[in-house]
Amino acid sequence: MAQIEVRNLKYRYPDAKRLALDDVSCQIERGEFVGVIGRNGAGKSTFTQALLGLVPNFYHGAYGGSVTIDGQNVRESSVDELCRKVGLVFQNPFNQVTGSKLTVYEEIAFGLENFGVPPKEMRRRIDAAMELLDIAQYKDRAPFDLSGGQMQRMALAGIIVMEPEVIVMDEPTSQLDPQGSEDVFRAVDVLRAQGKTIVMVEHKIEKIAAYSDRVMLLDEGRLVAMDTPRAIFSRDDLAEHGVVAPTYTQICRQLGVRSADGLYPVTLEETRSLLGAGGRGGEVR
Amino acid sequence: MSKIDVRDLHFSYAKGPEVLKGLDFSLDGRSCALVGQNGAGKTTFVKLLKGLLRPSSGSILLDGRDIAGSSVPELARHVGLVFQNPNDQIFKNNVLDEVMFGPLQIGMGEGEARASALAALELVGLSGHEAVNPYDLGLSDRKMVSIAAILAMDTDVVIFDEPTIAQDHDGKERLARIVRDLSCQGKVVISILHDMDFVAQTFERVIAMAHGEVLLDADPRSVFSQRDVLERARLEQPTTAQLCHALGYEELFLSPQEFVDFYRSQHGSHA
Amino acid sequence: MKSISLFEEKHSFLNGLSPETKLLYVVVAIAFPALVGGTVPQLAIMLLSIALLAGSKILTKSKPIIAVSGFVLLTVVIVQTFFRGGAYTELFRIGPLVARREGFDYSLGIVLNVFNIIFAFCVFVLATKPSDMMQSMVRRGISPRLGYVFVSLFQIIPQMTEHTSTITDAQRSRGMQTEGSLGTRVRAFLPLISPVIMSSFTDTRERSIALEVRGFNSHERKTFLDEFVPSSADRPVRIALLALLTLGVAFFVLRIVGVVSWPR
Repeated sequence: MAQIEVRNLKYRYPDAKRLALDDVSCQIERGEFVGVIGRNGAGKSTFTQALLGLVPNFYHGAYGGSVTIDGQNVRESSVDELCRKVGLVFQNPFNQVTGSKLTVYEEIAFGLENFGVPPKEMRRRIDAAMELLDIAQYKDRAPFDLSGGQMQRMALAGIIVMEPEVIVMDEPTSQLDPQGSEDVFRAVDVLRAQGKTIVMVEHKIEKIAAYSDRVMLLDEGRLVAMDTPRAIFSRDDLAEHGVVAPTYTQICRQLGVRSADGLYPVTLEETRSLLGAGGRGGEVR
Repeated sequence: MSKIDVRDLHFSYAKGPEVLKGLDFSLDGRSCALVGQNGAGKTTFVKLLKGLLRPSSGSILLDGRDIAGSSVPELARHVGLVFQNPNDQIFKNNVLDEVMFGPLQIGMGEGEARASALAALELVGLSGHEAVNPYDLGLSDRKMVSIAAILAMDTDVVIFDEPTIAQDHDGKERLARIVRDLSCQGKVVISILHDMDFVAQTFERVIAMAHGEVLLDADPRSVFSQRDVLERARLEQPTTAQLCHALGYEELFLSPQEFVDFYRSQHGSHA
Repeated sequence: MKSISLFEEKHSFLNGLSPETKLLYVVVAIAFPALVGGTVPQLAIMLLSIALLAGSKILTKSKPIIAVSGFVLLTVVIVQTFFRGGAYTELFRIGPLVARREGFDYSLGIVLNVFNIIFAFCVFVLATKPSDMMQSMVRRGISPRLGYVFVSLFQIIPQMTEHTSTITDAQRSRGMQTEGSLGTRVRAFLPLISPVIMSSFTDTRERSIALEVRGFNSHERKTFLDEFVPSSADRPVRIALLALLTLGVAFFVLRIVGVVSWPR
């Protein structure tokens, strides 16, 4: 059985006319990195919140279908139980700052204090997470003094230390500069290598293509497709769903260059080997 | 056409280290992207342009006149700034009032302000949402409201602080059109950005900043060809440029189309 | 640091005392002089507070508080000295105004009283880390939620102030006049309050969900990153304070029944 099973999930926010999620079904395996893409309003954030049962337990509204994590129905579980297994990083880093801690280090400890983790173990985990996300230099700063991008990494660290099996992230790099974003993706890749399941909403399509195992394409609350990045970005109807393929894929599509399996490449590496092979003899580094 | 001259501009917050260490350049009709790592001093710089902060030393001249002589509300007639976070800017109960606020403040008549606001809403794709409460809109649309609110003021200088945050593909395309339109109208357009693909395909000039100094200042192709300098400033090349580099090309292309055209010319059109 | 918590870690004598002990100090500092009466105990305790603050290197931090209240108190002194009703002894005259000894003495009493209270509170507020306060509350069985609200206000309120100033900047940037006469400023400021409140509502809602997904509702016994351990002085100090309080009460009772009287 898959770790996360979503069956015919339907949800409508209170007072809303249309469904935010409309009959979404999917399975996410343990240790998988799933990228979630789609235009604004497609239901991506709602989907992330449904994985923790915040929709509908917190936001109420009309709900149908089910989400189960390791066989446990999220609707029948409390957030307190679920958050041990599923960590959620919200879109707005600012509202994830507790406001009750004087330093970044203490801020990251918040979840661990709630779980009753011994201080020594807390420090071990916090040090590791700060190292992973390259934020150790901010440890004594006041949380609200950080920039948006720094806050985003702090919020992620606050979830990582809780060591959930599944980490769900809603645009975790939106306020980061390119290098900072790359750092976060690399860090998430390390977590995946440790066996964590990753679900990440992101607009940075090249990064999603490079790092995820499978991509979910949502539009108007519906799951259009869920497949490998290459299969998703080789689709002809991406524009209809408000999404563009990675630059590499666009180039290869225009040039009609496909991989052996008939799909277009999505990463720099693959594109280079395809285009470079028939190249003009220029050195390829 | 307006022109901004930045002369040996220094700035530091009270007692803190220097944030800007002597900026010296002019901004003209070429749309200009400001790029650099978080903390490079970009936002501080645009706040100085708006008079919200005052230089520690050096000056900023708008059409030859030092802006130190104007108050923030006076400068508002000439320089518009879209804040990074729309929640910092929006305070009216409906979209139309919000967008008309600036124009009314700078002395447009009711009718003119309304016409200007409606036109701006059309540009950002929010026609028909005039009566909606901005806080009922999603973040990306709210950001568009804050952009319309500045466009409606029809200032000679328009500054954006990270306009692409939270925008999807359609939103970015729309922003690109707006930037080009403004530039065509002869306005000075300046934007802080982290999205290098967007910069490469939209702007005519790129200023790369690091640690309060200008590192590179040229057209996008020249700036993005300096891979080593960019790397040291923790910046990256646009995606197409990265591909050029990976293939060992001497030429640098900034858009997929440029690359495709070149590739075809090298390999024959059958490729 | 964006916090109205004026706390600063100095590893001082006061930092080592538990929040309860420092709170008890505040109580004793106010109650003891009131029970005993007279200005000497008041003066003595005020000097003790100042000495404690100085010893913990946080006396300078109390300056702004003293400056603000000092200004208010100065007006009290002036009003009382020149306008206090009833019979009076003339101190001196400025034109038609007569300085009255009774008013002056009375206001001096107020000044002393208020300063004593303020310095005592400074001992508590400036030397107590908000999260230590929270730990004490949680240990005493008070809900962490209440503790959280108490502690977070120190940072959320300055955050709102900051947000207000950013919004003001944004409106000035759109041509709004916010400087000038009081009328202009009030007119400019009022409409800006609503978005601050609006967004603080949404912020609070979002923040409460974010707290929840970090286990805030957990029924587990909480642990603390920095377990607060009071210094060895804590217990003797607390006992001494309680003794002083008992002494004060005893004196008060004895005075009521007329066994002792304070030499005035």
